[in-house]
Amino acid sequence: MTLHIGQPQRRENARRHLAGRGRFVSDLALPRMLHAVFVRSPMAKGRILDIDTEAASLCPGVLRIFTAADLNPRCQPWVGTLDHFAGMQSPPMNILAEDEVLWAGHPVAMILAHSRAEAEDAADQVLVDIEDAEPVTGGAPVLLPGAPRANEAADSNLCYETLLETPDVDRAFAEAAHVVEAAFTFGRHTAVTLEPRAVVADYDPASGALTVHHGTQTPYQFQDVYARHFGLPEGKVRVIAPDVGGSFGMKLHVYNEEMGAVAASLILGRPVRYVADRLESFVSDIHARDHDVHGRMAVAADGTILAMEVDDLTRIGAVSAYPRTSAAEGNQVIRLMGAPYRMPDYRGKLSVAFQNKVQTSQYRAVGHPIACAVTEALVERAAEATGCDPFEIRARNLIADDAYPHVSATGYQFEKLSHQACLARLREMMDPDALRVEQAALRTRGIYRGFGIASFVEITNPGATFYGIGGARISAQDGAVVRMLPSGDIHCAISVTEQGQGTETIIAQVVADQLGVAPERVSVTTGDTATTPSGGANWACRGAGIGGETALRAGRQLRDRILTLAGALVQADPATLRLAGGAVVDAASGAPRIALEEIGRIATYRPDTLPHGVDHSLTVAHHFAPVGYPFDFTNGIQGSLVEVDTETGLVKLLKHWVVEDCGRIINPLLVDEQIRGGVVQGLGPAFFEECQYDVDGQLTNGSLADYLVPMAVEMPDIEIAHIETPTQDTILGAKGVGEAGTAAAGAAAMNAVNDALRPFGACLTQTPMTPLRILDALDAALKERTAP
Amino acid sequence: MKLEGEQFLDADPMTVWAALFDREVLAAAIPGCESLDQTSDTEFAAVVKLKVGPVSARFKGDVVLSDIVPGHSCTLSGKGSGGIAGFAKGAAQVTLTPEGAGVRLRYDADVAVGGKLAALGSRLIKSTAQKLTDAFFTNLSEILAVPETAGPV
Repeated sequence: MTLHIGQPQRRENARRHLAGRGRFVSDLALPRMLHAVFVRSPMAKGRILDIDTEAASLCPGVLRIFTAADLNPRCQPWVGTLDHFAGMQSPPMNILAEDEVLWAGHPVAMILAHSRAEAEDAADQVLVDIEDAEPVTGGAPVLLPGAPRANEAADSNLCYETLLETPDVDRAFAEAAHVVEAAFTFGRHTAVTLEPRAVVADYDPASGALTVHHGTQTPYQFQDVYARHFGLPEGKVRVIAPDVGGSFGMKLHVYNEEMGAVAASLILGRPVRYVADRLESFVSDIHARDHDVHGRMAVAADGTILAMEVDDLTRIGAVSAYPRTSAAEGNQVIRLMGAPYRMPDYRGKLSVAFQNKVQTSQYRAVGHPIACAVTEALVERAAEATGCDPFEIRARNLIADDAYPHVSATGYQFEKLSHQACLARLREMMDPDALRVEQAALRTRGIYRGFGIASFVEITNPGATFYGIGGARISAQDGAVVRMLPSGDIHCAISVTEQGQGTETIIAQVVADQLGVAPERVSVTTGDTATTPSGGANWACRGAGIGGETALRAGRQLRDRILTLAGALVQADPATLRLAGGAVVDAASGAPRIALEEIGRIATYRPDTLPHGVDHSLTVAHHFAPVGYPFDFTNGIQGSLVEVDTETGLVKLLKHWVVEDCGRIINPLLVDEQIRGGVVQGLGPAFFEECQYDVDGQLTNGSLADYLVPMAVEMPDIEIAHIETPTQDTILGAKGVGEAGTAAAGAAAMNAVNDALRPFGACLTQTPMTPLRILDALDAALKERTAP
Repeated sequence: MKLEGEQFLDADPMTVWAALFDREVLAAAIPGCESLDQTSDTEFAAVVKLKVGPVSARFKGDVVLSDIVPGHSCTLSGKGSGGIAGFAKGAAQVTLTPEGAGVRLRYDADVAVGGKLAALGSRLIKSTAQKLTDAFFTNLSEILAVPETAGPV
């Protein structure tokens, strides 16, 4: 019975947030709590000659100042490599810089004071003498032999490289009627969460227990990290992630500052709070993207895509992030290229290079926007070369909806996708013929509109082959404990977490359906390693697909328990009973037999009245790990309509369309909002967001005065439609949806801008597509047209 | 970041030249200068309080004069640390050219800033630097003008 799965259930905790009753780590104050502030290197690279903390130590309110010598020994260094990335290197990292500083923002000292303000005043008095060295901030030449190194502890600037190829790729290019190509640059951007990173580490020397209140999406991962790196028994470490003000992948990495707060609390035996301010967030939160990609596509005369070849150079920080590495994004970039298409041949080369900037690592839609933008821009060129229109060339090349299972040229296994159905639906929604008529009419009036589309594949519900196989202690399974209270209400404690996306709401819907109660009777607990079972929590779009399935199976086990107990009570075969409307009912007629509260009352207060040997326990625990396909891929297509002002380079985003297939939809309201939020986080870096560095490795726009984030006024209406192709690997059939919007929004927008600029022969291949870059592209096209 | 400009000073070249090497004149002319010590004929140690947009800091640094062609030109290079606010370093080529009764001073500077100053202030740094430079020359002109107006002939 699915009374509640599929319904637009409102997000219960939104009411609490609207009432100002959120519980964030940023707001937490504990008795005897100290506030931490970090002194950071202003230089991108250099050697620490001296750190003078004497004046700072005399400042009011200062309790302790740590440098590397007295803080780092408390923590085992971390190394951001994974075994399945063969040949990968990354030097060890610890909390504070020991000799070398590796990026502008690298923490070199930590001040603990009674208030943040006092700690900041003291930080101003710390004198750090750094002999600055030439930082590595450039592109491809940094990989040449003998190039100056970003990190002297690495043997070169090459962190990782890999190559994927099919045997016939060269022949495909040699025999192609057309080869289209382009070079792309994808700028750096960062997450800019509403609540910055926050941690309160609380070590109790009396019990030896460490409690870390941590604004993270992955509390179990951090329980493991803190236990191992600080030499504590795992059972003594508790991580609590209450309300989290946005995470987007940014809050699952290990950062120097959080490790510092834990180390300081262990040493001082007092709670230590660290909350990044907005300026620190820009120089310490992971950045995303930063890729230069050269791509080629081989196309037959009729528009059939034969092969792709890409070379991706991605620049990370001076070390790879831990524990998920900074190589996973590039790895996904080269594996997702051409994924929606039948394209049989492929070559993808990836180089991951160190440099003296903030680390890059996983952020919403890891690798997807890069692979999608490159693929879809080349498809547009292929369409132009072969005289096809954008819908026609995709219809010709997208994998047919009845051709599954399918293995991509890069080795991904697709269970069942719906590209052609999505394309057809998008065509109905956009009405491209009408848009072309309008475009032509407006051009005569000097108004330049364009539309673009982009098909995509999204990776969701990863199994243990994603990280576990590489030796990372990152769980691919999840756990739930579901129990019936004496009143007949239901409680579910589950390892997937809530950061505002509505995890708790969908879990309640799923459990409610298994137990025949209204979702309002199901309360859900998440985000505390002491009160919920261990699991992967939230990343890679796994909350609904894996967490939802875990809850479903746990709920069914509890249902069976309840029915067995009810069978004993009403003297009926449990097989003739089912749960509905808060009661046990006759399966055939629906006639009520016994209410849940009555079962709860008897099981809890009067077990003595039960027949001998009847199990009255109404709590079940269940863990579920994905089986079958290594990932549940989702798919979809997006469309963008823009108007470019060719005098100013400003782009007006007029409309955005998404057709998406995330399998079974548990809550259409939340799915649509995930897609909308994702689209905005895809359009942001396509037009606005960029971490700009100068040649000295200095971030030059590290505040919200200069770094542009997309705001409601710039965003178009986003119209969404769905195709539902449930996965057969689970009972629930849900796949993920959190990254779908981000995956293709920028690609569709880039194609739209280039469609608008087509009369000028101008073409953008760099993001963000700022007004200046658009004017430069127009200028370059004009020069080319008028050259002798 | 490149900064360049010129300023007409109503004084003879040697007076201007001497002023540029005069600790007291410089201390009075540099905006926000809290202390200036001459550590050798061609070296100064300075503490200067500056505000760039929202970042305010006390910079401690050294300035060295080199490539000295007396009465005509020299190079000033320096590096200052502003603690958590970041650092600034750079070099300026200063040239004096007689013009009528006075002298035209021309400077070409290459300045780099780092840390919070760069992250937060880069949009403001050029205008701030220009403002500080203008203030310096205004102060210098006023100091140089004093003897002529107030002193007996």
